[in-house]
Amino acid sequence: MKILSIDTSCDETAAGVTENTRVLSNIIWSQAFAHAKFGGVMPSLAQRMHEERIDWVIEKAIRKSHTKFENLDAIAVTVGPGLSIALGVGIDRAKKLSLKYNKKLIAVNHLEAHVLSCFAQPKTSKVSVPKPKFPALGLVVSGGNTILVKIKKIGSYEILAQTADDALGEALDKAARMLGLGYPGGAVLEKMAKLGNPEAYNLPTPIQGQENRKIFTYSGLKTAMSRLIESEKPLTKQKIYNLSSSFQNVAFSHLIRVCSHIFRSGESEYASLLVGGGVSANIELRKRLRKLGKETGIKISFPYSQKLTGDNAAMIGVTAYFKAKQGLFENPTKLDRKPNAKIND
Amino acid sequence: MRIIKKDKETAIKAVEVLKKGGLVIYPTETLYGIGADATNFRAVKKLTAYKNRPFGKPYSIAVTDKKMAEEYVELNSTARNLYKEFLPGPVTIVSRGKHKVARGVESEDGTLGIRISDVKLVTEIVKKLAKPITATSANASYKKRPYSVTDVLENISEKQKKLIDLIIDAGELPHKEPSTVIDTTLDDPVTLRQGEIKLTNKNELLSRSEENTKNIAKELWQKYEAHMGKRAIVFALQGEMGAGKTIFTKGLAQAMDIRELVTSPTFALENEYGTGSKKLFHFDAWRLEGPSEMHSLGFDELIKGNKVLSIEWAERVSSVIRQFDDSAIIVWVELKFGKGDNDRLISWGVSK
Repeated sequence: MKILSIDTSCDETAAGVTENTRVLSNIIWSQAFAHAKFGGVMPSLAQRMHEERIDWVIEKAIRKSHTKFENLDAIAVTVGPGLSIALGVGIDRAKKLSLKYNKKLIAVNHLEAHVLSCFAQPKTSKVSVPKPKFPALGLVVSGGNTILVKIKKIGSYEILAQTADDALGEALDKAARMLGLGYPGGAVLEKMAKLGNPEAYNLPTPIQGQENRKIFTYSGLKTAMSRLIESEKPLTKQKIYNLSSSFQNVAFSHLIRVCSHIFRSGESEYASLLVGGGVSANIELRKRLRKLGKETGIKISFPYSQKLTGDNAAMIGVTAYFKAKQGLFENPTKLDRKPNAKIND
Repeated sequence: MRIIKKDKETAIKAVEVLKKGGLVIYPTETLYGIGADATNFRAVKKLTAYKNRPFGKPYSIAVTDKKMAEEYVELNSTARNLYKEFLPGPVTIVSRGKHKVARGVESEDGTLGIRISDVKLVTEIVKKLAKPITATSANASYKKRPYSVTDVLENISEKQKKLIDLIIDAGELPHKEPSTVIDTTLDDPVTLRQGEIKLTNKNELLSRSEENTKNIAKELWQKYEAHMGKRAIVFALQGEMGAGKTIFTKGLAQAMDIRELVTSPTFALENEYGTGSKKLFHFDAWRLEGPSEMHSLGFDELIKGNKVLSIEWAERVSSVIRQFDDSAIIVWVELKFGKGDNDRLISWGVSK
């Protein structure tokens, strides 16, 4: 099943073509500067930019996949969560294309797509759709979300833990900002952290010993970091490396501790964990999750390419494929955005 | 298209080509880059054709030193610290541009990325040209990162090859990551302060914990609750990162009997909690580029609809909030770090 997918939930304009779970093309018009993905935002400008770029991005996605509009089976689009006026642009385009070419329309939840992004396969893959055992676990770590869910089956989710204040990616971005590394600087922080000593400073692990509260929280750590930086000023290059490394270390330890608590205490039937979202591209985090997987006997999966970790359209296409199999289509004259959509809506 | 090996004359040859508006492929510390005179509009257009990307996507530029950088961008204190610690080196620092490069080099919102390479040849070329050159990778958009001249040539069309005037071949480069991009523009002090906000009945309390902060929010809510539905109630929150603005909003939500989880809206810009008449709209202005952006987030409609709002980093959009001084109840709340680790000084008042 060939699907054209569109995502304009935030400030990336993205379109892709997928065939079942294979990615034929995945085009992202990334923000101005490669890594500065969610810096200063002008919602009105974001909307205008999406308007200007969307046709070019869709065209490119179609061309690169060697497909024609006529040969598509369906069109999929993100309806939420995201910035309302930005979402509108993608939805509008999807509706028009759906009516023009008489194609079925599929609405996709952006968060669900991050969880299912692990099912995406390269176009050359000979393997048919991987079949995980359910219930499985899903973890989304991004700038906007940090959430651990139980996947009862595709389309049915139960929230096991989520952030009480900042998302993990947001906490990393904010730490980078406090270190004078601009905003957003999570990706910069990762690079700096590699050059530093994670044990150089003693930052408190959030809610240590209370992992049974099943929340992720970074507000206390943020405060401690802010105080520590004040006492270390002026910051030299080496201090920035060490502070980055120490902060990242503790931020990840907290995530792992909460996950570990849930993996061990809960139902032993979990066989796998699917990890998605921008922060899942972080090598150190991957290492730690894999280690946890070994200790608990849970198979850990990540998306096959870095492009699938951040906001992208191919993951929307993959998710849409599963929805199509369940017969979940929308009326193109009625589809509307859901800026506050939850994964278990 | 000419391919030359690196020798003493290389920089001179490159400058000749660049002066005529030509494109030069050159080795950097991270990969092969492609240079055009960043002040020459025709050269930049040619580059955009080569890169096969739509006009309007910005390019970073290479300069020789901080002094030259300051001719093209405004450096704030964050940027200056970064220059001191990290340049020259594989780091691109984004600042507000001064619009002194050709159209299409700066981003659409006027920011510009600066590189100062520690590869001598690059600095030599820029110095001799006395103008910045573009510092973008030599591959066309969506193609392989070029670590050798073959990487470049094998992945482009004949038409693209014709657009290249000169290639400086330094053999296979060590495979390194592309440069780290640091965006400093959100730290611009200009956008941070919009003048003092004068308050009547200024109050101050010491909070010793997150629980305390929430309770102060609850008390404040009880004070203004009677106006709910009749007038808009805005809690305009100010305070540094980690000061407790989101915690305060959690307290508000609890007081309003909203059970949903309140989280930071920094990423989403706006969160909405509650149902029916009991709704709380939670904004974060930190990432907004200007106060007027509040309008496109539907701020005016919410005020006119007499809703309850909590706005983090309110000082960044105070001019828009203050337009409603007469119609809405606007409670300005400031959270400051106190002496003890968990201490916060919380002051509030209603604007005059």
